[in-house]
Amino acid sequence: MENQKPIPLKNQDNSPYWEGADRHELILQKCDSCKAYSHPPGPSCAKCGSTELSWERQGNDIHGKVYSYIISYRPFLPGFQDDLPLIIAIVELEKVKEVKLIGNILSCSPEDIAIGMPVKMIWKKMNEERSIPQWISE
Amino acid sequence: MSNIKDRYAIVGVGESERSKNSGTTPLHLALDAARAALNDAGLQAKDIDGFMSYSENDSCTSHQLATYLGVRPKYVKDIMGGGSSTEMLIADAVGLIETGQVNTVLIYRSMNGRSGVRMGGGGWDVNLLQSVIEGGSFIIPYGAASPSQWFGLFATRHMHETGLTQEHLGHVCLSFYEHAQRNPKAFFYGKPLTMEEYKNTPYLSYPFNKHDFCLESDEANAIIVTSAERAKGCKSRQVYIMGLSARQCVSHAHYWNDLSEVAADYVAPEVYKMAGVKPEDIQVASIYDCYSWVVLRQLEAYGFAPRGEVGHFVAEGNLRMGGKLPSNTAGGMLSEGYTHGMNNVLEIVRQVRHEYKGTDRQVENCEIGICTGWAGPDMAGAMILRN
Ligand SMILES: [Zn+2]
Repeated sequence: MENQKPIPLKNQDNSPYWEGADRHELILQKCDSCKAYSHPPGPSCAKCGSTELSWERQGNDIHGKVYSYIISYRPFLPGFQDDLPLIIAIVELEKVKEVKLIGNILSCSPEDIAIGMPVKMIWKKMNEERSIPQWISE
Repeated sequence: MSNIKDRYAIVGVGESERSKNSGTTPLHLALDAARAALNDAGLQAKDIDGFMSYSENDSCTSHQLATYLGVRPKYVKDIMGGGSSTEMLIADAVGLIETGQVNTVLIYRSMNGRSGVRMGGGGWDVNLLQSVIEGGSFIIPYGAASPSQWFGLFATRHMHETGLTQEHLGHVCLSFYEHAQRNPKAFFYGKPLTMEEYKNTPYLSYPFNKHDFCLESDEANAIIVTSAERAKGCKSRQVYIMGLSARQCVSHAHYWNDLSEVAADYVAPEVYKMAGVKPEDIQVASIYDCYSWVVLRQLEAYGFAPRGEVGHFVAEGNLRMGGKLPSNTAGGMLSEGYTHGMNNVLEIVRQVRHEYKGTDRQVENCEIGICTGWAGPDMAGAMILRN
Protein backbone atom coordinates (compact mmCIF):
# COMPACT_ATOMS: atom_id res chain seq x y z
CA MET A 1 0.00 0.00 0.00
CA GLU A 2 1.23 3.46 -0.83
CA ASN A 3 2.48 5.53 2.07
CA GLN A 4 -0.04 8.15 3.26
CA LYS A 5 1.99 9.36 6.21
CA PRO A 6 3.71 12.73 6.20
CA ILE A 7 7.28 12.51 4.90
CA PRO A 8 9.87 14.74 6.62
CA LEU A 9 10.43 17.95 4.68
CA LYS A 10 14.08 18.64 4.11
CA ASN A 11 15.31 22.19 4.48
CA GLN A 12 18.67 23.94 4.71
CA ASP A 13 18.92 23.32 8.45
CA ASN A 14 17.93 19.67 8.63
CA SER A 15 18.86 18.07 5.29
CA PRO A 16 22.02 16.26 6.50
CA TYR A 17 19.92 14.53 9.17
CA TRP A 18 17.25 13.36 6.73
CA GLU A 19 19.73 12.48 4.02
CA GLY A 20 21.50 10.35 6.59
CA ALA A 21 18.20 8.69 7.44
CA ASP A 22 17.62 7.94 3.76
CA ARG A 23 20.95 6.04 3.84
CA HIS A 24 19.90 4.41 7.15
CA GLU A 25 22.41 6.31 9.20
CA LEU A 26 21.99 8.67 12.18
CA ILE A 27 23.74 12.04 11.86
CA LEU A 28 23.53 14.68 14.57
CA GLN A 29 24.28 18.37 14.53
CA LYS A 30 26.92 19.50 17.02
CA CYS A 31 28.22 22.91 18.02
CA ASP A 32 31.97 23.39 17.54
CA SER A 33 32.04 26.25 20.05
CA CYS A 34 30.27 24.80 23.11
CA LYS A 35 30.26 21.14 22.02
CA ALA A 36 26.52 20.79 22.67
CA TYR A 37 24.45 18.65 20.35
CA SER A 38 21.66 20.55 18.64
CA HIS A 39 18.47 18.63 18.11
CA PRO A 40 16.34 19.44 16.25
CA PRO A 41 19.11 20.85 14.06
CA GLY A 42 18.90 24.56 13.38
CA PRO A 43 20.59 27.54 11.78
CA SER A 44 22.80 27.99 14.86
CA CYS A 45 23.39 26.43 18.25
CA ALA A 46 20.33 26.69 20.52
CA LYS A 47 22.61 26.69 23.55
CA CYS A 48 25.15 29.40 22.67
CA GLY A 49 24.07 30.90 19.35
CA SER A 50 27.27 29.93 17.55
CA THR A 51 27.08 29.29 13.82
CA GLU A 52 30.13 26.99 13.95
CA LEU A 53 28.25 23.74 13.51
CA SER A 54 29.22 20.35 12.21
CA TRP A 55 27.50 17.04 11.59
CA GLU A 56 28.60 13.98 13.53
CA ARG A 57 27.96 10.50 12.16
CA GLN A 58 26.58 8.03 14.69
CA GLY A 59 26.38 4.97 12.46
CA ASN A 60 23.42 2.64 12.23
CA ASP A 61 23.63 0.62 15.43
CA ILE A 62 21.69 2.98 17.69
CA HIS A 63 20.26 2.08 21.06
CA GLY A 64 18.31 4.05 23.57
CA LYS A 65 15.81 4.06 26.40
CA VAL A 66 12.24 5.30 26.46
CA TYR A 67 12.35 8.64 28.29
CA SER A 68 8.65 9.41 27.95
CA TYR A 69 5.70 8.36 25.81
CA ILE A 70 2.05 8.82 25.01
CA ILE A 71 -0.40 6.38 23.48
CA SER A 72 -2.67 7.88 20.87
CA TYR A 73 -6.02 6.20 20.34
CA ARG A 74 -7.13 8.68 17.70
CA PRO A 75 -5.33 9.58 14.47
CA PHE A 76 -4.53 13.29 14.34
CA LEU A 77 -2.87 13.01 10.92
CA PRO A 78 -3.53 11.10 7.71
CA GLY A 79 -1.82 7.73 7.35
CA PHE A 80 -2.04 6.73 11.02
CA GLN A 81 -5.59 5.38 11.05
CA ASP A 82 -4.38 1.77 10.78
CA ASP A 83 -1.62 2.19 13.39
CA LEU A 84 -3.78 2.72 16.46
CA PRO A 85 -3.04 2.68 19.27
CA LEU A 86 0.07 4.59 18.24
CA ILE A 87 2.93 4.94 20.69
CA ILE A 88 4.77 8.24 20.36
CA ALA A 89 7.90 8.26 22.50
CA ILE A 90 10.89 10.34 23.37
CA VAL A 91 13.98 8.15 23.33
CA GLU A 92 17.19 9.02 25.15
CA LEU A 93 20.17 7.86 23.09
CA GLU A 94 22.49 5.48 24.88
CA LYS A 95 25.68 7.07 23.47
CA VAL A 96 24.55 10.71 23.44
CA LYS A 97 22.28 11.05 26.45
CA GLU A 98 21.63 14.75 25.93
CA VAL A 99 19.90 14.01 22.63
CA LYS A 100 16.34 12.80 22.82
CA LEU A 101 14.56 11.76 19.65
CA ILE A 102 10.83 11.64 19.09
CA GLY A 103 9.69 8.52 17.29
CA ASN A 104 7.20 5.69 17.36
CA ILE A 105 7.78 2.45 19.21
CA LEU A 106 6.65 -0.09 16.63
CA SER A 107 5.22 -3.53 17.33
CA CYS A 108 4.72 -2.73 21.00
CA SER A 109 1.44 -3.06 22.86
CA PRO A 110 0.20 -0.35 25.26
CA GLU A 111 0.57 -2.84 28.13
CA ASP A 112 4.28 -3.32 27.45
CA ILE A 113 5.48 0.24 26.98
CA ALA A 114 7.25 1.76 29.99
CA ILE A 115 9.70 4.51 30.80
CA GLY A 116 13.21 3.07 30.80
CA MET A 117 12.41 0.37 28.27
CA PRO A 118 15.46 -0.38 26.07
CA VAL A 119 14.84 0.18 22.37
CA LYS A 120 16.79 -0.17 19.15
CA MET A 121 16.63 2.09 16.11
CA ILE A 122 15.36 0.72 12.83
CA TRP A 123 14.75 2.52 9.55
CA LYS A 124 11.31 2.52 8.10
CA LYS A 125 11.03 3.06 4.35
CA MET A 126 8.46 5.70 3.40
CA ASN A 127 8.97 5.29 -0.36
CA GLU A 128 11.77 4.40 -2.79
CA GLU A 129 14.02 7.28 -1.69
CA ARG A 130 12.98 8.18 1.82
CA SER A 131 13.35 6.49 5.21
CA ILE A 132 12.85 7.63 8.78
CA PRO A 133 14.33 6.30 12.01
CA GLN A 134 11.90 4.38 14.21
CA TRP A 135 12.24 2.18 17.28
CA ILE A 136 11.52 -1.37 18.31
CA SER A 137 11.85 -2.90 21.74
CA GLU A 138 15.19 -4.69 22.33
CA MET B 1 12.11 48.90 35.96
CA SER B 2 9.86 51.15 37.96
CA ASN B 3 7.74 49.51 40.61
CA ILE B 4 4.19 49.23 39.30
CA LYS B 5 2.78 47.32 42.26
CA ASP B 6 -0.78 48.47 43.00
CA ARG B 7 -0.49 51.35 40.52
CA TYR B 8 -2.63 49.73 37.82
CA ALA B 9 -6.06 48.21 37.98
CA ILE B 10 -8.47 46.03 36.08
CA VAL B 11 -11.68 48.05 35.99
CA GLY B 12 -13.86 46.16 33.56
CA VAL B 13 -14.48 42.60 32.47
CA GLY B 14 -17.07 41.26 30.09
CA GLU B 15 -17.97 38.44 27.79
CA SER B 16 -20.17 37.63 24.85
CA GLU B 17 -22.59 34.75 24.85
CA ARG B 18 -20.85 31.36 24.95
CA SER B 19 -21.95 28.68 22.52
CA LYS B 20 -20.85 25.85 20.30
CA ASN B 21 -22.13 27.54 17.19
CA SER B 22 -22.40 31.30 17.49
CA GLY B 23 -23.79 31.78 13.98
CA THR B 24 -21.95 35.08 13.93
CA THR B 25 -18.47 36.49 13.39
CA PRO B 26 -15.64 37.03 15.87
CA LEU B 27 -16.17 40.78 15.30
CA HIS B 28 -19.75 40.56 16.58
CA LEU B 29 -18.61 38.49 19.56
CA ALA B 30 -15.80 40.95 20.33
CA LEU B 31 -18.21 43.90 20.17
CA ASP B 32 -20.52 42.16 22.65
CA ALA B 33 -17.64 41.42 25.04
CA ALA B 34 -16.21 44.94 24.74
CA ARG B 35 -19.58 46.60 25.40
CA ALA B 36 -20.09 44.34 28.43
CA ALA B 37 -16.67 45.27 29.83
CA LEU B 38 -17.28 48.98 29.21
CA ASN B 39 -20.62 48.72 30.95
CA ASP B 40 -19.01 46.88 33.85
CA ALA B 41 -16.45 49.68 34.23
CA GLY B 42 -18.94 52.47 33.67
CA LEU B 43 -16.82 53.73 30.78
CA GLN B 44 -17.63 54.71 27.23
CA ALA B 45 -15.84 53.51 24.13
CA LYS B 46 -14.30 56.95 23.66
CA ASP B 47 -12.55 56.51 27.02
CA ILE B 48 -10.52 53.64 25.57
CA ASP B 49 -7.47 54.85 23.67
CA GLY B 50 -5.73 51.49 23.25
CA PHE B 51 -7.16 48.23 21.89
CA MET B 52 -5.22 44.96 21.86
CA SER B 53 -5.94 41.36 21.08
CA TYR B 54 -4.29 38.01 20.59
CA SER B 55 -5.33 35.32 18.19
CA GLU B 56 -4.18 32.61 15.87
CA ASN B 57 -5.56 34.41 12.85
CA ASP B 58 -9.04 33.35 13.89
CA SER B 59 -10.35 36.68 15.19
CA CYS B 60 -11.13 40.25 14.15
CA THR B 61 -8.56 43.02 14.46
CA SER B 62 -8.41 45.62 17.22
CA HIS B 63 -8.81 48.26 14.58
CA GLN B 64 -12.08 46.71 13.41
CA LEU B 65 -13.34 46.48 16.97
CA ALA B 66 -12.57 50.14 17.64
CA THR B 67 -14.11 51.19 14.34
CA TYR B 68 -17.42 49.52 15.11
CA LEU B 69 -17.48 50.85 18.63
CA GLY B 70 -17.45 54.17 16.83
CA VAL B 71 -14.12 55.41 18.13
CA ARG B 72 -10.71 56.26 16.75
CA PRO B 73 -8.13 55.07 19.31
CA LYS B 74 -4.50 56.15 19.49
CA TYR B 75 -3.16 52.65 19.57
CA VAL B 76 -4.11 49.21 18.26
CA LYS B 77 -2.16 45.96 18.42
CA ASP B 78 -2.90 42.38 17.46
CA ILE B 79 -0.45 39.65 18.36
CA MET B 80 -0.24 35.98 17.49
CA GLY B 81 -0.66 34.19 20.75
CA GLY B 82 -2.56 31.92 23.04
CA GLY B 83 -2.19 30.92 26.67
CA SER B 84 -0.33 33.59 28.70
CA SER B 85 -1.03 36.28 26.09
CA THR B 86 -3.59 37.92 28.38
CA GLU B 87 -0.91 38.53 31.02
CA MET B 88 1.51 39.66 28.34
CA LEU B 89 -0.88 42.20 26.84
CA ILE B 90 -1.81 43.53 30.28
CA ALA B 91 1.91 44.10 30.88
CA ASP B 92 2.16 45.84 27.51
CA ALA B 93 -0.81 48.03 28.42
CA VAL B 94 0.79 48.96 31.73
CA GLY B 95 3.97 49.90 29.89
CA LEU B 96 2.11 52.10 27.42
CA ILE B 97 0.15 53.84 30.17
CA GLU B 98 3.29 54.25 32.28
CA THR B 99 5.05 56.01 29.41
CA GLY B 100 2.08 58.25 28.71
CA GLN B 101 1.19 56.77 25.33
CA VAL B 102 -2.36 55.91 26.31
CA ASN B 103 -4.63 56.09 29.35
CA THR B 104 -6.94 53.11 29.24
CA VAL B 105 -6.62 49.86 27.29
CA LEU B 106 -9.17 47.22 26.34
CA ILE B 107 -7.77 43.72 25.71
CA TYR B 108 -9.86 40.98 24.17
CA ARG B 109 -9.84 37.47 22.77
CA SER B 110 -12.58 36.53 20.35
CA MET B 111 -12.96 33.20 18.62
CA ASN B 112 -15.37 30.79 17.05
CA GLY B 113 -13.28 28.10 18.73
CA ARG B 114 -15.84 25.36 18.15
CA SER B 115 -17.67 26.22 14.95
CA GLY B 116 -14.70 27.94 13.27
CA VAL B 117 -10.98 27.33 13.67
CA ARG B 118 -10.48 24.53 16.21
CA MET B 119 -7.35 24.34 18.35
CA GLY B 120 -7.44 20.61 18.85
CA GLY B 121 -6.04 20.00 15.40
CA GLY B 122 -7.30 17.97 12.50
CA GLY B 123 -7.72 18.86 8.88
CA TRP B 124 -4.38 20.65 8.66
CA ASP B 125 -2.07 20.42 5.68
CA VAL B 126 0.77 18.19 6.88
CA ASN B 127 3.49 19.98 4.95
CA LEU B 128 2.32 23.33 6.24
CA LEU B 129 2.42 21.92 9.79
CA GLN B 130 5.97 20.72 9.28
CA SER B 131 7.08 24.16 8.14
CA VAL B 132 5.31 26.33 10.70
CA ILE B 133 5.98 24.22 13.78
CA GLU B 134 9.46 24.47 15.26
CA GLY B 135 11.24 21.19 14.48
CA GLY B 136 8.07 20.12 12.66
CA SER B 137 9.74 17.59 10.40
CA PHE B 138 10.91 15.72 13.52
CA ILE B 139 7.39 15.52 15.00
CA ILE B 140 4.73 15.42 12.29
CA PRO B 141 6.05 12.29 10.47
CA TYR B 142 5.56 10.44 13.76
CA GLY B 143 1.89 11.32 14.03
CA ALA B 144 2.29 13.91 16.79
CA ALA B 145 0.19 16.88 15.76
CA SER B 146 -1.88 17.77 18.81
CA PRO B 147 -0.91 19.73 21.94
CA SER B 148 -2.45 16.85 23.90
CA GLN B 149 0.32 14.64 22.55
CA TRP B 150 3.12 17.16 22.98
CA PHE B 151 2.12 18.07 26.53
CA GLY B 152 1.32 14.43 27.21
CA LEU B 153 4.98 13.56 26.74
CA PHE B 154 5.78 15.99 29.55
CA ALA B 155 2.94 14.60 31.62
CA THR B 156 3.97 10.94 31.41
CA ARG B 157 7.55 11.76 32.40
CA HIS B 158 6.54 14.12 35.20
CA MET B 159 3.99 11.65 36.56
CA HIS B 160 6.65 8.94 36.50
CA GLU B 161 9.16 11.11 38.36
CA THR B 162 6.82 12.52 40.98
CA GLY B 163 4.38 9.67 41.60
CA LEU B 164 1.33 11.38 40.13
CA THR B 165 -1.43 8.99 39.09
CA GLN B 166 -4.41 9.07 36.78
CA GLU B 167 -6.56 9.58 39.85
CA HIS B 168 -4.69 12.81 40.58
CA LEU B 169 -5.51 14.07 37.08
CA GLY B 170 -9.08 13.06 37.86
CA HIS B 171 -9.14 15.19 41.02
CA VAL B 172 -8.32 18.27 38.94
CA CYS B 173 -11.20 17.49 36.58
CA LEU B 174 -13.64 16.67 39.38
CA SER B 175 -12.80 19.86 41.28
CA PHE B 176 -13.37 22.08 38.25
CA TYR B 177 -16.52 20.24 37.15
CA GLU B 178 -17.83 20.77 40.66
CA HIS B 179 -17.27 24.53 40.31
CA ALA B 180 -19.12 24.48 37.00
CA GLN B 181 -22.23 23.27 38.86
CA ARG B 182 -22.44 26.75 40.43
CA ASN B 183 -22.04 28.52 37.10
CA PRO B 184 -25.15 28.32 34.91
CA LYS B 185 -23.13 29.72 32.00
CA ALA B 186 -20.64 26.84 32.07
CA PHE B 187 -20.90 24.22 29.34
CA PHE B 188 -20.82 21.45 31.95
CA TYR B 189 -23.37 23.07 34.26
CA GLY B 190 -25.65 20.24 35.29
CA LYS B 191 -23.06 17.65 34.31
CA PRO B 192 -21.01 16.76 37.38
CA LEU B 193 -18.33 14.11 37.16
CA THR B 194 -17.58 11.25 39.54
CA MET B 195 -14.21 9.54 39.96
CA GLU B 196 -15.73 6.27 38.85
CA GLU B 197 -16.98 7.84 35.63
CA TYR B 198 -13.65 9.56 35.10
CA LYS B 199 -11.68 6.36 35.56
CA ASN B 200 -13.99 4.39 33.30
CA THR B 201 -13.56 6.84 30.44
CA PRO B 202 -11.27 5.41 27.77
CA TYR B 203 -8.04 7.19 26.96
CA LEU B 204 -7.99 9.46 23.93
CA SER B 205 -4.30 10.02 24.20
CA TYR B 206 -2.73 8.36 27.21
CA PRO B 207 -2.32 9.71 29.89
CA PHE B 208 -5.38 11.81 28.99
CA ASN B 209 -9.01 10.90 28.49
CA LYS B 210 -11.59 13.36 27.15
CA HIS B 211 -12.17 14.88 30.60
CA ASP B 212 -8.51 15.92 30.79
CA PHE B 213 -8.95 18.02 27.62
CA CYS B 214 -10.24 21.57 27.62
CA LEU B 215 -13.45 22.48 25.84
CA GLU B 216 -13.90 24.36 22.61
CA SER B 217 -16.29 27.27 22.49
CA ASP B 218 -17.41 30.24 20.45
CA GLU B 219 -17.03 33.30 22.61
CA ALA B 220 -15.24 36.58 23.26
CA ASN B 221 -13.88 38.03 26.50
CA ALA B 222 -12.65 41.55 27.24
CA ILE B 223 -10.68 43.22 30.02
CA ILE B 224 -10.08 46.93 30.66
CA VAL B 225 -6.84 48.11 32.28
CA THR B 226 -6.08 51.61 33.50
CA SER B 227 -4.05 53.46 36.12
CA ALA B 228 -5.05 53.26 39.79
CA GLU B 229 -5.83 56.98 39.64
CA ARG B 230 -8.24 56.69 36.73
CA ALA B 231 -9.69 53.53 38.25
CA LYS B 232 -11.14 55.60 41.09
CA GLY B 233 -13.61 57.16 38.67
CA CYS B 234 -14.91 53.80 37.47
CA LYS B 235 -18.16 52.15 38.47
CA SER B 236 -16.70 48.74 39.30
CA ARG B 237 -14.78 47.76 42.39
CA GLN B 238 -11.17 48.06 41.29
CA VAL B 239 -8.84 45.13 41.35
CA TYR B 240 -5.19 46.13 41.62
CA ILE B 241 -2.29 44.47 39.87
CA MET B 242 0.30 43.58 42.49
CA GLY B 243 2.69 41.71 40.27
CA LEU B 244 3.00 40.66 36.69
CA SER B 245 5.43 38.51 34.82
CA ALA B 246 4.59 39.14 31.20
CA ARG B 247 6.28 36.15 29.74
CA GLN B 248 9.21 33.82 30.30
CA CYS B 249 10.53 31.25 27.87
CA VAL B 250 12.64 28.14 27.62
CA SER B 251 14.28 27.11 24.36
CA HIS B 252 12.38 25.58 21.46
CA ALA B 253 8.68 25.56 20.88
CA HIS B 254 7.17 22.13 20.11
CA TYR B 255 10.38 20.11 20.09
CA TRP B 256 11.36 20.15 23.73
CA ASN B 257 14.54 18.37 24.70
CA ASP B 258 14.34 19.00 28.39
CA LEU B 259 11.13 17.74 29.97
CA SER B 260 12.31 18.69 33.45
CA GLU B 261 11.73 22.44 33.12
CA VAL B 262 8.77 24.53 32.06
CA ALA B 263 8.59 28.29 31.62
CA ALA B 264 6.29 28.58 34.65
CA ASP B 265 9.26 27.59 36.84
CA TYR B 266 10.87 30.90 35.83
CA VAL B 267 7.71 33.00 36.01
CA ALA B 268 6.93 32.11 39.63
CA PRO B 269 9.89 33.81 41.37
CA GLU B 270 9.45 36.94 39.22
CA VAL B 271 5.78 37.39 39.90
CA TYR B 272 6.06 36.72 43.65
CA LYS B 273 8.99 39.10 43.98
CA MET B 274 7.16 41.91 42.22
CA ALA B 275 3.97 41.38 44.22
CA GLY B 276 5.85 40.97 47.50
CA VAL B 277 3.80 37.94 48.47
CA LYS B 278 4.31 34.21 48.91
CA PRO B 279 2.16 31.32 47.71
CA GLU B 280 0.59 31.01 51.17
CA ASP B 281 -0.68 34.61 50.96
CA ILE B 282 -2.93 33.70 48.02
CA GLN B 283 -6.52 32.57 48.59
CA VAL B 284 -7.86 31.99 45.09
CA ALA B 285 -6.37 30.99 41.75
CA SER B 286 -7.06 30.68 38.06
CA ILE B 287 -4.60 28.17 36.70
CA TYR B 288 -4.32 27.70 32.97
CA ASP B 289 -6.03 24.40 32.27
CA CYS B 290 -5.80 23.36 28.65
CA TYR B 291 -5.21 19.87 30.11
CA SER B 292 -5.62 18.64 33.67
CA TRP B 293 -1.94 17.79 34.03
CA VAL B 294 -0.92 21.34 33.16
CA VAL B 295 -2.63 22.42 36.41
CA LEU B 296 -0.63 19.92 38.47
CA ARG B 297 2.64 21.02 36.93
CA GLN B 298 1.83 24.67 37.62
CA LEU B 299 0.82 23.99 41.23
CA GLU B 300 4.37 22.70 41.61
CA ALA B 301 5.95 25.59 39.68
CA TYR B 302 4.08 28.26 41.63
CA GLY B 303 4.90 26.63 44.96
CA PHE B 304 1.41 25.66 46.13
CA ALA B 305 2.65 22.19 46.93
CA PRO B 306 6.18 20.81 46.87
CA ARG B 307 7.26 18.59 44.01
CA GLY B 308 6.03 15.09 44.74
CA GLU B 309 3.16 16.29 46.94
CA VAL B 310 0.97 17.96 44.35
CA GLY B 311 -1.15 14.83 43.89
CA HIS B 312 -1.88 14.69 47.59
CA PHE B 313 -2.70 18.42 47.53
CA VAL B 314 -5.43 17.99 44.90
CA ALA B 315 -6.70 14.69 46.34
CA GLU B 316 -7.30 16.50 49.65
CA GLY B 317 -9.74 18.75 47.83
CA ASN B 318 -7.63 21.88 47.97
CA LEU B 319 -8.80 23.12 44.55
CA ARG B 320 -12.43 22.94 45.70
CA MET B 321 -14.43 25.52 47.63
CA GLY B 322 -13.23 25.44 51.22
CA GLY B 323 -9.85 24.04 50.17
CA LYS B 324 -6.53 25.83 50.55
CA LEU B 325 -6.65 27.19 47.01
CA PRO B 326 -10.04 27.17 45.31
CA SER B 327 -9.08 27.31 41.64
CA ASN B 328 -10.83 27.91 38.34
CA THR B 329 -14.02 28.58 40.25
CA ALA B 330 -16.13 29.16 37.13
CA GLY B 331 -15.21 25.67 35.96
CA GLY B 332 -12.09 26.59 34.03
CA MET B 333 -11.40 25.63 30.47
CA LEU B 334 -12.03 21.99 31.39
CA SER B 335 -15.69 22.61 32.11
CA GLU B 336 -16.73 26.27 31.66
CA GLY B 337 -15.54 27.27 28.19
CA TYR B 338 -12.40 28.19 26.33
CA THR B 339 -11.12 31.57 25.29
CA HIS B 340 -7.44 30.71 25.35
CA GLY B 341 -7.16 31.57 29.03
CA MET B 342 -9.04 34.82 29.25
CA ASN B 343 -12.21 33.37 30.79
CA ASN B 344 -10.09 32.26 33.75
CA VAL B 345 -8.78 35.82 34.14
CA LEU B 346 -12.32 37.23 34.15
CA GLU B 347 -13.23 34.82 36.95
CA ILE B 348 -10.29 35.73 39.17
CA VAL B 349 -11.16 39.42 38.82
CA ARG B 350 -14.74 38.69 39.88
CA GLN B 351 -13.64 36.57 42.83
CA VAL B 352 -11.19 39.20 44.09
CA ARG B 353 -13.93 41.85 43.73
CA HIS B 354 -16.24 39.64 45.84
CA GLU B 355 -18.77 39.88 43.07
CA TYR B 356 -20.40 36.60 44.13
CA LYS B 357 -20.78 37.69 47.75
CA GLY B 358 -23.76 36.08 49.39
CA THR B 359 -23.67 33.07 47.08
CA ASP B 360 -21.92 29.72 47.32
CA ARG B 361 -19.73 30.68 44.39
CA GLN B 362 -17.77 33.29 46.38
CA VAL B 363 -14.44 32.13 47.81
CA GLU B 364 -14.47 33.20 51.44
CA ASN B 365 -12.03 35.90 52.54
CA CYS B 366 -10.25 36.10 49.24
CA GLU B 367 -8.15 39.22 49.10
CA ILE B 368 -5.33 38.11 46.84
CA GLY B 369 -5.57 35.94 43.73
CA ILE B 370 -3.21 34.61 41.12
CA CYS B 371 -3.84 33.79 37.50
CA THR B 372 -1.36 31.84 35.48
CA GLY B 373 -0.97 31.50 31.74
CA TRP B 374 0.59 28.60 29.91
CA ALA B 375 1.27 28.93 26.19
CA GLY B 376 3.07 25.62 26.46
CA PRO B 377 5.98 24.19 28.40
CA ASP B 378 8.05 26.83 26.59
CA MET B 379 6.16 30.04 27.43
CA ALA B 380 4.26 31.25 30.47
CA GLY B 381 3.09 34.38 32.26
CA ALA B 382 1.30 35.17 35.51
CA MET B 383 -0.40 37.97 37.41
CA ILE B 384 -1.22 38.53 41.07
CA LEU B 385 -4.25 40.70 41.94
CA ARG B 386 -5.73 42.17 45.11
CA ASN B 387 -8.89 44.07 45.88
ZN1 LIG C 1 26.97 26.05 21.13
